[in-house]
Amino acid sequence: MAIHERSLVDPERVLRKERLVIDGVDVSGDWNLIILPRVIQDYDLDFLNEVLEQPEGKTILQCYQCSYCTASCPVHNYWDERYNPRHFIHLARLGLIDELQKRADVMWRCVSCHKCTHRCPKGVLVEEVLKAILRVMAKRGVIEEYPSKKFDKFFLESVYEYGRIEDGELLFGWIERQGYQVVKDPILKKPIPFVGGVPEWLKQLAAKPLKSMNIGFLVLNAKHMLFHPKTKNWNRFKQVLRKVMEEEGVFAH
Amino acid sequence: MAKSVLVVGGGPAGLAAARTLGKLGIPTILVEKEQKLGGRPVIEDYHTLIPRKMTPQQVIGPFIEEVQNNPNVDVKLGVELEACEGEAPNFKVKLSNGEEHEVGAIVVATGFQHFDAKRKGELGYGIYPDVITNLELEQMFSREGKLYRPSNGQLPKRVAFVFCVGSRDRQLGVTNVHCCRYGCALSGLQGTEIREKYPDVDVFCYYMDVRTYGTWEYPFYWAPQEKHGVRYVRGRIAEITYSPTDGRLRVKHEDTIVQRPAEVPMDLVVLVLGMEPSEGTKKVAKVLGLAQDPDSQFLVPAEDAGSNIISNKTGVFIAGACKGPIDIESSLSEGEAAGAEAATFIGAKVSA
Repeated sequence: MAIHERSLVDPERVLRKERLVIDGVDVSGDWNLIILPRVIQDYDLDFLNEVLEQPEGKTILQCYQCSYCTASCPVHNYWDERYNPRHFIHLARLGLIDELQKRADVMWRCVSCHKCTHRCPKGVLVEEVLKAILRVMAKRGVIEEYPSKKFDKFFLESVYEYGRIEDGELLFGWIERQGYQVVKDPILKKPIPFVGGVPEWLKQLAAKPLKSMNIGFLVLNAKHMLFHPKTKNWNRFKQVLRKVMEEEGVFAH
Repeated sequence: MAKSVLVVGGGPAGLAAARTLGKLGIPTILVEKEQKLGGRPVIEDYHTLIPRKMTPQQVIGPFIEEVQNNPNVDVKLGVELEACEGEAPNFKVKLSNGEEHEVGAIVVATGFQHFDAKRKGELGYGIYPDVITNLELEQMFSREGKLYRPSNGQLPKRVAFVFCVGSRDRQLGVTNVHCCRYGCALSGLQGTEIREKYPDVDVFCYYMDVRTYGTWEYPFYWAPQEKHGVRYVRGRIAEITYSPTDGRLRVKHEDTIVQRPAEVPMDLVVLVLGMEPSEGTKKVAKVLGLAQDPDSQFLVPAEDAGSNIISNKTGVFIAGACKGPIDIESSLSEGEAAGAEAATFIGAKVSA
């Protein structure tokens, strides 16, 4: 049996049986295909409450679905129409979790251009609201923590530990966090650049600036990667930073 | 030439006309079919009126008092206009109590009636006790002061407002294709009242578009949504069913933003009723020979008049909801305008 309006039928709702017997009657053949209904059975209204609990989520109630944000959004217009901030807000407000989950692969693709926020006629802080939605989704395990967040976390850890970042370490350490296979040196257990399962595009991306650097700088970088220097008197600053982070509830360790 | 004016209808528009005429010192006869002045808002116990969020007593009460205390106004309750002969400014009118009067001008303010929700069988009104009209919700507030499910007397967890019941609907014939004008705003207000008193009750408004026109946009659409968390879902409710397993209703619709059909559980469903011309309006149109809209049967102003209180018949002025859906404050202003217009028509001079 042919399926009409194929775009409306999600693959996971299509059941096809080789042999199908219902109440003792063999209905194999024309009737062996079942499409599970797509009816919304209920809302999950707690989802909105959790978004509202986030400091960035407060303005979600102001949205009246005009789609000024989506029309302005470069990600929607030039990358993937499934990235639709207006729609995400509607889904979050009614708590249609399965619909949000369907879009989990695109939802973190915001490039933070803030056109949506600057243009919204209702004063919704769209970009912030979407971050709040993503956080609640991550908390519920509906979406994986988005990749850029992993970078932010690693960056923060590095600063917290040493008071400064090292470009090389940040780049190759982040590659490791992304799940790529890296090879580490046996003594200091630091990742060795350009060895292991690093993707080709990333190698090219990293090699370009390296070519234009002078040898002295490269040696310095390599030295810092191996023996990470600390900012002067960092241990004292660290205690202050720790206190502030604890007070603001962002302490990640 | 007759120097008195007949006002037909004792609702907001009629009261305002009679009050203006009485204050100008013009002998006025006010006939009202019911045994009480005030029209629908007073007789049917509305709770809060849009857009001023005042009670009918606060808004219409002073008009009733002034009209009753003005010696120039002769209020006749339980009386209708039966016949009219002659031309302006010498109308000979016959009332249902047998009286005959000669009047110089007539103000028609015969109003509207609420749509009968039983005509939309698929919405289950009259079948499921928890499907009520927005008029019944008003009376729940004003007469009993609490929100409850009629089936078990308990507080509902979820309330759904179904917009446009008896409005914008060709299925009912050509008579109900117009917009009721007040429904979106009143639902916003009722939703706000529910959320203020019962913050744990979730309120949903099922709409096609939200027509809180002009300055009503903020108080009756933005504020309910932003401040009180009333939820708006786009999609007209097509069917209401009942599930015996959990004793809750199901509102069947398509969420047109998500583009998915939905059958969501609700505890109380409120039908937002449309407005139709009252029986009195249809009757007075025949008696006086007034032009009616061929579809809705509401009275229509004269084609060549810029003002909408001028009827097609010289000396007859029309005000309020007999011309189509209108809010209370506009009804009052139209009544006042029609009263003043009638006074100038009969050539009355303002006494010093």
